[in-house]
Amino acid sequence: MENRRVVITGLGGICGAGNNVAEIVDFVEANKSAVKRMAGWENYTGMRSYVGAPAKLINEKNIPRQARRSMGRMSIFAVQAAEEALQNAGILKSDFHHGRGAVIIGSTMGGAESLNQVFETMLPHHDLNKLTSMQFFQCVSHTAALNVAQYFGANGYVMATSAACASGLQALGEGYNLIRSGDQDFALCGGAEELHPTVTGSFDILYATSAKYNDNPCATPRPFDRDRDGLVCGEGAGILLLESYERAMARNAKIYGEILGYHTCASGLHISQSSKESVARCMGEALRKSGVAKEKIDYVNAHATATLHGDIEEAQAIHDLLGAAVPVSSLKGYFGHTLGASGAIELILTLMMMQKSTIYPTRNLENVDEQCAGINHVTQKTGKMLNTILKNCFAFGGINASMVIAGV
Amino acid sequence: MTDDDIRRMVNEVFIESFEIEPAKIKPEANIFMDLGLDSLDVVDLVVALQNKFNVKIRSDERVRDIRTLADLQNFIIALRNEGAFTQNG
Repeated sequence: MENRRVVITGLGGICGAGNNVAEIVDFVEANKSAVKRMAGWENYTGMRSYVGAPAKLINEKNIPRQARRSMGRMSIFAVQAAEEALQNAGILKSDFHHGRGAVIIGSTMGGAESLNQVFETMLPHHDLNKLTSMQFFQCVSHTAALNVAQYFGANGYVMATSAACASGLQALGEGYNLIRSGDQDFALCGGAEELHPTVTGSFDILYATSAKYNDNPCATPRPFDRDRDGLVCGEGAGILLLESYERAMARNAKIYGEILGYHTCASGLHISQSSKESVARCMGEALRKSGVAKEKIDYVNAHATATLHGDIEEAQAIHDLLGAAVPVSSLKGYFGHTLGASGAIELILTLMMMQKSTIYPTRNLENVDEQCAGINHVTQKTGKMLNTILKNCFAFGGINASMVIAGV
Repeated sequence: MTDDDIRRMVNEVFIESFEIEPAKIKPEANIFMDLGLDSLDVVDLVVALQNKFNVKIRSDERVRDIRTLADLQNFIIALRNEGAFTQNG
């Protein structure tokens, strides 16, 4: 089996902070928040959290109707981000027509808005007559992967890694493995998700959402902060183009970074809570596979969603494995937790940090919770050469994913 | 509902649900060749018409013979004449 080098050559992203990577970077550099009070959410009986980080759906009619008809909101985000990534990489849709290019895009679920519309239409009389054919394609779990692959005419591997908040990073990991092994030469990888009151509601039922800042939305989420009270859902898509190092060099592509190591594992312990032992194990395995010494990690982009439990487990795992010196920040204070898209969108921003030799701080981190102390929290924009970084994602089911990336 | 009302409402379905340019909306236009609908669109066309006219169409065999916009308008007019608009869609 081959063991090819895998590099990242294209980036595309949409979230509450902007409709392309440049806009998102500018937004984060300006320390803005995309979190808003969401109109109408108080109509959901029992909902505690009324805040979310919506993205703008724009220019969707640039996608021809017959391609767009099967796309819900999330798939449109994914297609637009994928188009940006391809353009950024300087490759064509036609490159995907020879069976050598993969499309691997994950999400927590199918289109939430479409799923809700289907059930509101069908119930309570169980009447199928009013359902459209296209609603099905918008609802299926692999809707983002399906639609991006169809839009580009991709006929290589098409997969959807559904693992909640680890979906995007698992997609990147699968793309990395396929290219490394020689099964594919390049891959569009990432994640997508859409914001809907029922998505927030599913976390709200578990008391995992932020509910104390409904009248001050920009003050939440607060990763690692003493006054954090839970996550804020966002939406969007993050898509990266991975390719073999040889292919990238042959066409003189700009390389954002090389994937040196990837690992995913579960804790096997609890359906919703992470455990610091399994988090540390995941990071440790990614590092071991990368061949990079712990001391060489210049920055950790944390998952840290501002849940009471999760932030503590991650902070302590980072401390136990990497010590107190490596800078750590979470990006969720700017645009919320984009769930299936989070690993990809946050990795894109981390790669941009590497380009700019700048670490973006954890927004809303004003007083570090003492149980999250013992690591180097970045609370101001900081200039630093970043050659090697570690990205974490942790999901329901105790599913962990970590990736090590270095500049080339 | 007059015949002209029905024709106008059918045209509205094509413009609103299928983003067809109004200039292409002509009675002789072939739904598939001229207006660009395919077999998957026909499923959604039926649902849109059922919602627009509050009438059941899905299991009506005559749908299969429809080719032009005029065919479709005449079909809906026939349904009205048969008293079908009094049923729930």
